[in-house]
Amino acid sequence: MHRKYTRNILWIVPMVILLLMTACTPRSDSSEQRADGKVEIDFWTFWGSETRRPIIEKIISDFNASQDRIIVKHTYLPFGDIWTKNLAAVAAGNPADVIINDYANVNLRASKNQNTNLTPYLQKDNIEANFYPELWKNVLYNNEAYALPFNTDTRMLYYNKTAFKEAGLDPNHPPQTWAELEEYAQKLDKKSGDTYQQVGFYPLWGDFGIDSWLINGDNGQGYFDDNNQTTINTPGKVDTLKWLLSWQDRLGRQTVDAMKAEFGNGQSDAFISGKVAMYIQTGTYNTQLEEFGKDLDFGVAPIPERESGSGHWSSGGGFVVEIPRGAKHPAEAWEFMKYLTGVEAQKYWAIKNFDNVANMEAAQDPEANQNPVYKASVENLESTKLFPIPLSAPDYKNLINPHMDAVLLGKETPEQALAAAQQDIQNLMAQNTK
Amino acid sequence: MGRVQPYISPQIHHKKRLSPRQIIIFIILALGSVLFLLPLWWMIATSLKSMQEIAQYPPTFIPQEFHLDNYIRTWAAAPFTQYTLNTLLLSFFAVTGNVIVNAFVAYGFARIRFRGKKIWFSILLATMMIPGFVTLIPQYVMFSKLHLVGTYYPLIIPQFLGSAFYIFMLRQFYLSIPRELSEAAKIDGASHFYTWLRVIIPLSKPALATIAILSFNGAWNDFLGPLLYVNDESLYTLQIGLQSFRGSVQTQWNYLMAGSVLVLLPVIVLFFIFQRYFIEGMNLTAGTKG
Repeated sequence: MHRKYTRNILWIVPMVILLLMTACTPRSDSSEQRADGKVEIDFWTFWGSETRRPIIEKIISDFNASQDRIIVKHTYLPFGDIWTKNLAAVAAGNPADVIINDYANVNLRASKNQNTNLTPYLQKDNIEANFYPELWKNVLYNNEAYALPFNTDTRMLYYNKTAFKEAGLDPNHPPQTWAELEEYAQKLDKKSGDTYQQVGFYPLWGDFGIDSWLINGDNGQGYFDDNNQTTINTPGKVDTLKWLLSWQDRLGRQTVDAMKAEFGNGQSDAFISGKVAMYIQTGTYNTQLEEFGKDLDFGVAPIPERESGSGHWSSGGGFVVEIPRGAKHPAEAWEFMKYLTGVEAQKYWAIKNFDNVANMEAAQDPEANQNPVYKASVENLESTKLFPIPLSAPDYKNLINPHMDAVLLGKETPEQALAAAQQDIQNLMAQNTK
Repeated sequence: MGRVQPYISPQIHHKKRLSPRQIIIFIILALGSVLFLLPLWWMIATSLKSMQEIAQYPPTFIPQEFHLDNYIRTWAAAPFTQYTLNTLLLSFFAVTGNVIVNAFVAYGFARIRFRGKKIWFSILLATMMIPGFVTLIPQYVMFSKLHLVGTYYPLIIPQFLGSAFYIFMLRQFYLSIPRELSEAAKIDGASHFYTWLRVIIPLSKPALATIAILSFNGAWNDFLGPLLYVNDESLYTLQIGLQSFRGSVQTQWNYLMAGSVLVLLPVIVLFFIFQRYFIEGMNLTAGTKG
């Protein structure tokens, strides 16, 4: 009895080991030579959706066919988590050869040895002039490029033309200034009793947060100037916060919070469902409108300016391509990155996605510009600012946001909040540069 | 059953007349269940809607049109059959590894006297205090140096190296099994191994079932592990596959939810099958009731 059972359990062990061996044979190392002598490089993106995956894979296969030295292998990784994996891979010394990453932290990654300095490659073929200068500014660390801009986005005012007509407004004349925006919004409000059937506009719904408004209301100036000096406590920003508060006062905090709760889940959409007549969103929001808001008659316009001449400033973001530090084939990676940011690939990306691309010539290509919303977004790029993050204050948002919340809750005045935020950030920067 | 009858409280015999207290408890429990089931319903309802309907306001509680084709399209949108097989394989090793190894190690801590036992046990417990994120990158670097990144080994090998929590849980369970049973076996000349296999294991079925369920669930839902260690898309698991419906710009809620329902099904089925053991096993003082 005893022996038999012992034998049975001992038999399991080698079986499990055998299964282990067969279950997973190690993948061949990509740095090994391919049989056909080509170099295989690994390209990590987070474009795995039904819409985007075919587009990027077409670009890759075009590149593979365009020359006979390099083969690009595409790997999809989920958005956000792709960078966790990249971090681990860089630390272990086996990263991909090319990766899509964000603008905001190019400099941080450069300072932490996570991406590759592109200066040697740019000395051979200088392609800097191909890109929007505002985007190029955001790939620099100590005045040297560590990434190439790939795409970008910009925010615009979408407005419901049907609602405009109902309110007696000219559907071909969207609001230009803050004053007009307020005037229009009041005409567009529809109320029964105390509840709103339709809200004309509320600045903080949609995709334009306080930090974006502070750029818009302060002549295009963000929290930091080009020399990383804080420009937080400025008269323009104080006025902007006061103006944002006035909207909350007019609608009532309850209405604002209720709407935020109803539409904050990212599923139902306030503009598509007609609850809001004017709404700020990115250029690609257009594709959602076409898909889900079939009967909606809408127009797009630049973000209204504080006063005539102060500028229709908008905010943007987007992604870069870079070579993780420690990549096995940086030279081949560069060849592919050049292609990816070149006119042909960028044009294809723009036409298929109506996503804003970083290459200026491709962005202005007439074929994609036949779409009026896309055309408007390209024009909007001229007055679009990114949010650079100074190295001495990588987590500045954690210090600013509580003050902004306090303003909206009425716990701090705009003056107090901005002064305190500026002081906090300066302390942080002083601490980090010691 | 008959043997138990005398202990049944008289209340249960008069089932028809519920006391007001029971009615209130019943109502509270019913409301609680509805509350817990609501997100599940929302997931199922969303999985059957069109994207147009999802974007609508007010949101519909019951889909206006039932789009069962969402499920088919979800399955076709990514190689989900492959992902399911991959996930099943990993779950299989997680269950086998965790059940065998932890049951074995726990026996040592529960029944064998050896020098430094308390210290070893404290060290073992201390490993539970280290947050996973701290060891994430060092562990990755280690597997990378072993040239195992890109394979399933980093996901399978640790399952055979014991888990502090499971060992602790099983040790507590073993301790509640009367010592007389193993001592009797010892007197009859049984080795530790034989005692473990023939006396302890049969009495620990509820605890082992619990560990099987927990480790299956852990491996089935593991996202970060496969994400980090697997590079080839043909080795991806369901959890990574699901993320492909979540874009930087837009999320395909109906597909994401349909996929989530499909991925959740085996877990629910498994739970219902082993429910009895599961609840018994979590009760660390359950002892020899089974």
